[in-house]
Amino acid sequence: MLFGCIYALDFPVQAALHGRPHVFLSSVAAVIDGPESLLKVIACNASARAAGVAIGMTKIQAESCGAVLLQKRVVELEESAQAALLDCGYSFSPRLESTAPGTVIIDLTGSGRLLGSANEIGQQLLRHAEACGFVVNIAVAANPDTALHAARGCKGLTVIPPGQEAARLGGLPITVLELPEEILEVLGHWGITDFKSLAALPQVPLTERLGQQGLHFQRLAKGEIERELLPAENPPAFRECTELEEPVDLLEPLGFILNRLLEQLMYRLRERSLATDHVQLDLTLEVHAERQLQGESPASTITPHCQRMLKLPVPTQDAKVLLKLLQLELSAHPPEAPVKIITLEAFPARMRCMQAGLFQPLAPEPAKLEITLARLRAVVGAEDGKGRSRVGFPRTLDSHRPDSFEVLPAGAVPGWEGETEGSCQLALRLFRPALAARVELREGCPAALAFLHNRARVVRAAGPWRVTGAWWDAGGEWQRDEWDLYLNLDGAAGLYRVFQDLCSGQWFVEGMYD
Amino acid sequence: MASIAIIRSQVESRLPGALSPYILPAPEMLFTGVAAVDRKTGGIPKNALTQICASPEVSSGKTTLLLSLMAAVTAREEFCALVDASDSFDPASAEAAGVDGARMLWVRCEHKSGLRSMEQAFKAADIIVQNGGFGLIAVDLGNIEERTVRKIPLSTWFRFARVVEKMPAALVFLLSHPAAQNCAALTLYLSGAGACWQGSGKASHAQLLSGVECQVEIGRTRLRKPVQSAPARFSAISMWA
Repeated sequence: MLFGCIYALDFPVQAALHGRPHVFLSSVAAVIDGPESLLKVIACNASARAAGVAIGMTKIQAESCGAVLLQKRVVELEESAQAALLDCGYSFSPRLESTAPGTVIIDLTGSGRLLGSANEIGQQLLRHAEACGFVVNIAVAANPDTALHAARGCKGLTVIPPGQEAARLGGLPITVLELPEEILEVLGHWGITDFKSLAALPQVPLTERLGQQGLHFQRLAKGEIERELLPAENPPAFRECTELEEPVDLLEPLGFILNRLLEQLMYRLRERSLATDHVQLDLTLEVHAERQLQGESPASTITPHCQRMLKLPVPTQDAKVLLKLLQLELSAHPPEAPVKIITLEAFPARMRCMQAGLFQPLAPEPAKLEITLARLRAVVGAEDGKGRSRVGFPRTLDSHRPDSFEVLPAGAVPGWEGETEGSCQLALRLFRPALAARVELREGCPAALAFLHNRARVVRAAGPWRVTGAWWDAGGEWQRDEWDLYLNLDGAAGLYRVFQDLCSGQWFVEGMYD
Repeated sequence: MASIAIIRSQVESRLPGALSPYILPAPEMLFTGVAAVDRKTGGIPKNALTQICASPEVSSGKTTLLLSLMAAVTAREEFCALVDASDSFDPASAEAAGVDGARMLWVRCEHKSGLRSMEQAFKAADIIVQNGGFGLIAVDLGNIEERTVRKIPLSTWFRFARVVEKMPAALVFLLSHPAAQNCAALTLYLSGAGACWQGSGKASHAQLLSGVECQVEIGRTRLRKPVQSAPARFSAISMWA
């Protein structure tokens, strides 16, 4: 049996500064929590402790200790940091225990042939956790609790060979065991301060005085307890969150924050060999009531939450692609107020594995195409007056209604199954919307046509061809008489499709045969 | 002469190939699917700019030719893009012509005419060219007035021609007049040569439009010399004929 433990030092501080380990190591930092009127220090780093900051101090007391970087506790940040720590563990083994915030125990049994000796595994764990942005202690031992206590009590990497648990744990202070207050007090009176002295106590008198609990702690101090891990549940979603000290009202700085969050998400997805095809961005806005007085958009009409969603035709792990798409989306629909909290969630999907052929025809790269479509939408607009997309892949609808089609995103249109015939089909060039026209009739047949700035004599006409539909739908009914007219336009010939709307009696030019 | 040779050798030692002539490789050709046009032109060149010119008010077969070309490209399982400056593309006609909608990117400009529409079309074309991966990029400026198209600086056409030179894509512009001038590797002029009807008698309901006769002429080509000036004809047949 082999177990590894990852222990993140001063976890609440690291979570608040997640992704910035250099700040954790170099600055005097502490985390405060509680009601606004009585904020107290709940965690601080080693530099802060050296500066005199202690847990339980009020914010004012902590500030008096010098230039202390005080961060307010955000539970979501701690959750996402814990998820990142778990992901770090999942890179080594699927059997994990989320023992406590900032502490993860990994079952490494049987991984020796894959990852090497216990010492090599420990080195790899340390490097990997540091690459994930954590400052950690690592311990590798034959049982989970020995690994846990060694990681809590010893700096850097500790490898305990089987049989040497009691000897190696002996020097650790008794506080590492996280004993109940009353037992700690009793042991203090007995002069027991470290693991070694606790392990040396006779078992029967210890049980008589402290009960089974005392015996259990002694066995822990000896490193004798074998137990099964409580497997950690997979996180329901890949979510990253950050709360800003000052609200951001420009898209450029927001882009930097989104980039950091996306890179963390993509890292976690890559660790599990997953990708994403659906990203959801939730922005909590700071809405001020006084904006109403300044004549800007009334605060009452601004919703404090803003949501943007990205759906891709193929899963991706590329943070840059997603960042560009989010930036384009936000520039097209910017938030109405400064952003205070940013939550980014990626819905995992399996990577699409495809073997490209040597003679495969040229095709746009799906992720790059998605960015191109978003950029095109920014130029020509997203939708027309009828709610149809302006950029995409066309598909005709199963309807006889003229000009019925939809424009779909990439990958949504089924491939063509018909055959391309040799002869070329006459195409219609549409006027969208149809042009209003004036028609001169002679014996019920159009003789002259005027539209836009043109007035032309009809040389030959074919029709009328009556088309009707949706008669069962009072609002959507359409009926019209279509004509194919051959016009003489200053000596040149034009073939036009003209129709009379039977509901209004109005004539229109629908298009030109070209 | 000796001094010229020395200068030449000095230049070539610093910039290899600077004084050797730049020879363009023979471009790959895309067949349009219209036999008469393919016979006359040898196809539409890839890595080059082509302009198809026709009067906007006359049924000349320019849209038919473009759809046929797009159908041929999508039949090769390549992707094509259409930047539609006047939003005049008819998906039903394209489907009848055999264009695979799943391989055709359609960009519908917001403004139907004028300078703004043309500006959007050029921006969109630029984005698509940058993306790459398309075998054919068509820009339909056929309904834009000639005086508006004339405002496009020659440098724009030159830039597009140079960019597409290095890409395995054909860039085709539908225009009312040959605005790209000598930046285009191939210029085609299309005109109508009459309509074909079925049915007899004077009654309009007994008549049926069966197609359009079109005429194509090469205005300029870099690919096939000498230029054949005699026009060729082709028929575009209506869906119901």
